[in-house]
Amino acid sequence: MKGKNLYLFVWLFSFAIMLCRPFHLFAQEAQEIKGTVLDAQTQSPIPGVTVMIKGSKTGAATDAKGQFSIRATATDILVFSFIGYDKAEQAAGNGKHIYISLQPSKTTLNETVVIGYGTVKKSSVTAAVAKVENTNLDQMPAGRPEAALVGRLAGVNISQARSQPGQAPNIRIRGAGSISAGNEPLVVIDGVPGGNLGNINMNDVQSIEVLKDASSAAIYGSRAAGGVIMVTMKKGVAGKTKFNFNGYAGLSKAIVHNDWITGQEYYDYAVKFQNREYTWAGGDPTIPVWGDPRRPASYQVNDTIISPNPVIWQDAVLSTAPIQSYNLSASGGTDKVTYYVAGTYKDEKGTLRNTWFKTYGLRANVDVKASKVVELGFMLTPSYSKLRSPSVDIANFSKYPSFVQTRRADGSYPKARDYWGAVVSGQLNPLATLDGTENFSSTFANISDMYLKLNLAKGLSLRSSVGTNIAYNTIDNYQTSWGNAAGSTGSQRKSSTINVINENVLSYNTTFRGGHDLAAIAGMSLQRNWGEASGIYAVTGSFNNDIIHTLSNATINAAASTFTKSSWGLVSYFSRVNYAYKDKYLVSASIRTDGSSRFGPNSKWGYFPSASLAWRVKQEEFMQDIRAISDLKLRASYGVTGNFNIGDFAYLGKMKDALYSPNNSTVKGQAQGNYGNPDLTWEKTAGIDLGFELGVLDNRINLNFDYYSKKTKDLLYEVSVPITTGFTTGLSNIGSVSNKGIELELTTRNLVGKFNWSTSFNFSKNVNKVEDLGDVKERIVTDQFGMSWILRVGEPMFSYYGYKTTGVFQNANQIANTPALGNTKPGQPIIFDRDGNKTINSDDKMILGNFQPKAIFGMVNNFSWKSFDLSIAMQASVGARIYNFENEYYSGTLLGAMRRSLVENQWWSEASPGNGKTPAISLNNIASWGATDVLVEDASFLALRNINFGYTIPESFTSKLRMNSCRVYFSVSNALILTKKGFHGYNPEGYTNGEIGGVNSKPGYNTGSEPLNRSYALGFNFNF
Amino acid sequence: MKKTIIASMLLLFGAASCTDKLLNLKPEDTLTTGNYYKTANDMNLAVLGVYNALQQRKQTDYLIMELPSDNLYLGNNTAVAGGSEMDALAVNQDNNIVADFWEATYTGIGRANAILENINVPTDYPANMKDQYTGEAEFMRACFYFDLVRLFGGVPKVTTSLSIAEAKTMARSSADDIYALIISDLKDAVEKLPKTIAKGRASKAAALGMLGKVYVYRKDWPNAKTCFERINSEFSFILEPNFSTLWSLATEDNNEVIFTMKYVESSNGQTLSTAYTPNGGIYGLVDRGNEVALPSWSLNKRYEAGDKRKASTISDMYVPATGGTPIFYPYVSKYAVKHLIGTSGLDIPVLRYADVVLLYAETLYNAGDKGNALIQLNKVRERAFGDASHDYTAADIASADAFLDKLLLERQLEFAYENERWLDLVRTGRMTTVMTKEERLYNNVTNQPLVTTLSPKDYMNLFPVPKRQIDLYNPGVLQQNTGY
Repeated sequence: MKGKNLYLFVWLFSFAIMLCRPFHLFAQEAQEIKGTVLDAQTQSPIPGVTVMIKGSKTGAATDAKGQFSIRATATDILVFSFIGYDKAEQAAGNGKHIYISLQPSKTTLNETVVIGYGTVKKSSVTAAVAKVENTNLDQMPAGRPEAALVGRLAGVNISQARSQPGQAPNIRIRGAGSISAGNEPLVVIDGVPGGNLGNINMNDVQSIEVLKDASSAAIYGSRAAGGVIMVTMKKGVAGKTKFNFNGYAGLSKAIVHNDWITGQEYYDYAVKFQNREYTWAGGDPTIPVWGDPRRPASYQVNDTIISPNPVIWQDAVLSTAPIQSYNLSASGGTDKVTYYVAGTYKDEKGTLRNTWFKTYGLRANVDVKASKVVELGFMLTPSYSKLRSPSVDIANFSKYPSFVQTRRADGSYPKARDYWGAVVSGQLNPLATLDGTENFSSTFANISDMYLKLNLAKGLSLRSSVGTNIAYNTIDNYQTSWGNAAGSTGSQRKSSTINVINENVLSYNTTFRGGHDLAAIAGMSLQRNWGEASGIYAVTGSFNNDIIHTLSNATINAAASTFTKSSWGLVSYFSRVNYAYKDKYLVSASIRTDGSSRFGPNSKWGYFPSASLAWRVKQEEFMQDIRAISDLKLRASYGVTGNFNIGDFAYLGKMKDALYSPNNSTVKGQAQGNYGNPDLTWEKTAGIDLGFELGVLDNRINLNFDYYSKKTKDLLYEVSVPITTGFTTGLSNIGSVSNKGIELELTTRNLVGKFNWSTSFNFSKNVNKVEDLGDVKERIVTDQFGMSWILRVGEPMFSYYGYKTTGVFQNANQIANTPALGNTKPGQPIIFDRDGNKTINSDDKMILGNFQPKAIFGMVNNFSWKSFDLSIAMQASVGARIYNFENEYYSGTLLGAMRRSLVENQWWSEASPGNGKTPAISLNNIASWGATDVLVEDASFLALRNINFGYTIPESFTSKLRMNSCRVYFSVSNALILTKKGFHGYNPEGYTNGEIGGVNSKPGYNTGSEPLNRSYALGFNFNF
Repeated sequence: MKKTIIASMLLLFGAASCTDKLLNLKPEDTLTTGNYYKTANDMNLAVLGVYNALQQRKQTDYLIMELPSDNLYLGNNTAVAGGSEMDALAVNQDNNIVADFWEATYTGIGRANAILENINVPTDYPANMKDQYTGEAEFMRACFYFDLVRLFGGVPKVTTSLSIAEAKTMARSSADDIYALIISDLKDAVEKLPKTIAKGRASKAAALGMLGKVYVYRKDWPNAKTCFERINSEFSFILEPNFSTLWSLATEDNNEVIFTMKYVESSNGQTLSTAYTPNGGIYGLVDRGNEVALPSWSLNKRYEAGDKRKASTISDMYVPATGGTPIFYPYVSKYAVKHLIGTSGLDIPVLRYADVVLLYAETLYNAGDKGNALIQLNKVRERAFGDASHDYTAADIASADAFLDKLLLERQLEFAYENERWLDLVRTGRMTTVMTKEERLYNNVTNQPLVTTLSPKDYMNLFPVPKRQIDLYNPGVLQQNTGY
């Protein structure tokens, strides 16, 4: 109701101004007119609104504060237009500050969406494309741009497996389809493919579009199988120079475990642990645990471990860490030249001792309209970042025994063995490792592009561009003599990649009489990549002292040093036609062909066609009377995309080093390193997408639904082959994997008016399935601790494969009467005899779940009231499982740290059997539980990823400070994370052994992924 | 306008001309099978690549050749996949150690085959080098097959590069066929290999000794005798007076070594020294160890007082890296030399003269020459004890069984942790009787060992063919050994 009143008010106000117009007729001199454009509903300023003088080519645009300034005479009519709002006109007047409110369009259909090599109106999109506008996404403490997108896009799973500063998350668009050739989406930054989101700053981003289905991605054919992320960077708009400053500072605090046990409780479990081990080895546990020579030293427990001042090592190595980020930009220009320049500084301290990440970045783009025919421009995105990281994962520190003190009075680091001999861990004091390790990674990167656009005729243009993507990386590792058990170590690794791309695209747009719209492009792209890497390593222990940390102070290990140099080339031709009839029936078709140097001489070329169509049902006559439905569109598409992300020259049998040392002098012997395959060719993903877009109640409710089904075939993967070929695997085009799923996006404007509340909710479910593996039905990779990962036809890729447990053996008698693995002892799990043949062997192994979630949910709620706004982003994931091997570290082995939740339910003896479900966990009996479901945990979660609360300081106040606008905000990331009760990891998305990357992948394997950080930040964003 | 169109067309054509270059790039930092094996130097480096395959595998051979035996048991500190099953004689076809061994061995065979296939390509061989490389490749291939046939029985006989399709259909040959290949390779290697060669590469003596050993496994006593006698007459190997000479970095190249795997600390070191080192390291030698396996009391107790080999095989007293008073904590000390964690420079012998002596003793005894067999057997004992006080007498070895007892004991004491024990037990048919129990951790206060009862079966004389290989063959092609 309130919204309607406001609506009325704006029109009355506009009408009043119209009436006033004649009184100002006398003022004919052009003068500087200033004004502010506001959203009629929220009264918040709208940046980027085009302000034109009616009937002329003079124009300006509003800044981030919604303000503009333009030279006009009093009688000039100013026309205000902006995507998603109805056009408005107003007289320039005689110099008074103009306030104008734009009414949001009843439909958002005029919004444009970036697709490959062009843009289309959102209403004309025929494929599944998701879009996120950067409204306040840069105003939250997110280390990388991806983090701000979590939960905002259906079908896009952004998971942070590692929580180290600067670490890239995994992005999976509609599931993973490739075993060995990578599932990362292609990132296209302002038209330059192959970029890295880590190199750009969210402040400089205008919008991010995700091309999800094969038909939209097919125009990037060759590398689009993982989907395409199109980033549109901010550009300058003609008008006075606008400055924008955005900065925040805050604190990060790790979300940690709080059930560590110490003192007497710890001692009691240590005794139970040692007695259990001793009993298994054939000893008598009634012999006193300490001081009795009948009990071997390795099964004793020294009561020194009941420390009066226990140290919880997790807490000793973690601390609250400051984070800060600043960005200053300037943009503006004339009708000939527009520019946007920005600088960024970001400093993120890690919560883990001695870790941090710093970034310095610049962004510039300039667009020039040299003449009616010639347009040109360039962009640069140089950045420098430096990272300090630990040498080992946090679990190595958390598991350290609590009876060891952090430092001695003299500053030296005691270690467990100083307290008690060889029974306990021989590991160094964690602080010694952290303080004695200097691992730095610094990267200089730049994405640049320059283009020349020729407007050859009406609707016909040729755009030719040269883009480069350059990265230089140096990794310096150093450990002091006291920071590494084996002695001082050091290495320096340098790598560089230079990627140059030339693209030439001819575009043609026209409209025929009778409602026919036609847009066509034809183009070619040439790309070459050069890569080089070298590594120099010190001989361990050879640093002359701990003062000089460079390799000049050490002996170089010549045999370990490496140098590689490689390159690839890609040649592509592509074409696309978009046709629309009366804006009602839309058709799009494209074809791309790519040739790659990475494939065999006979099979370099791949063809990637696509077609899609859409029917805007609402435009039909018969729909006009159905008022409840404000928009309805049906879509269908088909497309083929490719993947070539294998190593360079993988089709050749390359020689590799095979060292040997006759006469004690090491020589680089040679051996063939891989099985050559001259027929190696493109991996292809073909997919369909069926969807509809529905708007009801004046588009207060918008629903997007998509069903997709895609199949990746001719998988580029290292197929296992008999070793009698000389190799265990051969890279081949064999097998297929499918992903099918549904996505739902529901956007509702729940309350409009003074108090605004809108919700966007998304749900996606993906079913991943191995369809074919060539000659075999399954392939299993087994970890050293027993767990297997299986590729099996009909099941999701890399499911956990092992024994299901049904209980715990209480005594020898029970073992004798129950099928069991050889060598089973009391306390070890009872294994489900799957085939019921009364023996337990590998035939009883079964699938124990998968690391991929079954469904993911995202929800963003936006509220605004007067000058206050609040945004809450939530994310949930259901059905993923994690193999939390990390739990073993906290169960007592080597008398390390123990967690109550992991020891209290364990079987310790027949008299102390725990909860009857949790078997004995120790390294010594790993064969009994390593291959079972005991540590496979449900990693479902609900996370409140971000809360952003902002206050926009009233205009009346900011104008006195010569500011156009100012928003103050407070943001909390990872405010709340709820996991299942039986989940023991730090991070429900956390695992340490990487995701899918080759046949021997062990995704979901967690040996100590870092705790997530809860970050609080206070920020300012102002324009002047 | 026309000019711009023409200019843009030129741009397109200009770009098009370099597509060929972009698509036909060549590797810049490595050779490929297309341009390798062209020169004598290529062949030399490729031969080193074959040695590399054995050198890499040798470091973990103890997991399959010592751990199942009564010499060694698994420690509690480092988990090795499949290790506990090896230790408990509960090996199944999924065992990782067995599969890794099978694969590592065939990797070496593939490399040797590549040399033999391409040996005629280079034309720049210096004198005799073509023969040497041929002999080395044949020798190494024979060593690899000898390991396979002893552990698995007959295996697929691969002597050329196979396509994947060919490999999938190649069944196991009989053990006799494999032995025939081994013998013919070694015979040719004896002809082609030089008498002297760089340490760590195979010489004529290595091929002769290995051939003799193969004949012993075949119980072909006359041919074995010829081989060992040629070694004695044509070469000048000796038993080093001090057993400890063999296990020292300074003297690892000595007059007893016939063929050894060379390692160099840091650049090309082995992990074996660290694997046997207790978790707390060893004072003065290494800061930490992996303590993968510990010496069994079954072996430890069999060293008589005065046997100098004990000190270079098992250390009963232990001082960790941090120092302190020695404690009773027996560990394998044969490879305990000063080294950086995980990269020791101590060589691992493949064939040393003591083995030739004991094999010769065995050969002589079985050929009916008991007197000379006794002399050979006592040579090894005299070196061990420093004098003849512990020599056996003719009465001690009167019966064949008695001789075998003495021989196996001597071989166990002499070659402990040199990967002979399990194979000796199997080839003499003693595995199923000896391995019924194993005394492991010993309590020096109660003087009681912890005893593990085992149930060895005849079928365990051969290990299972790895299931992960069987699965890659066409169905039914690669047959499993019975019992698995």
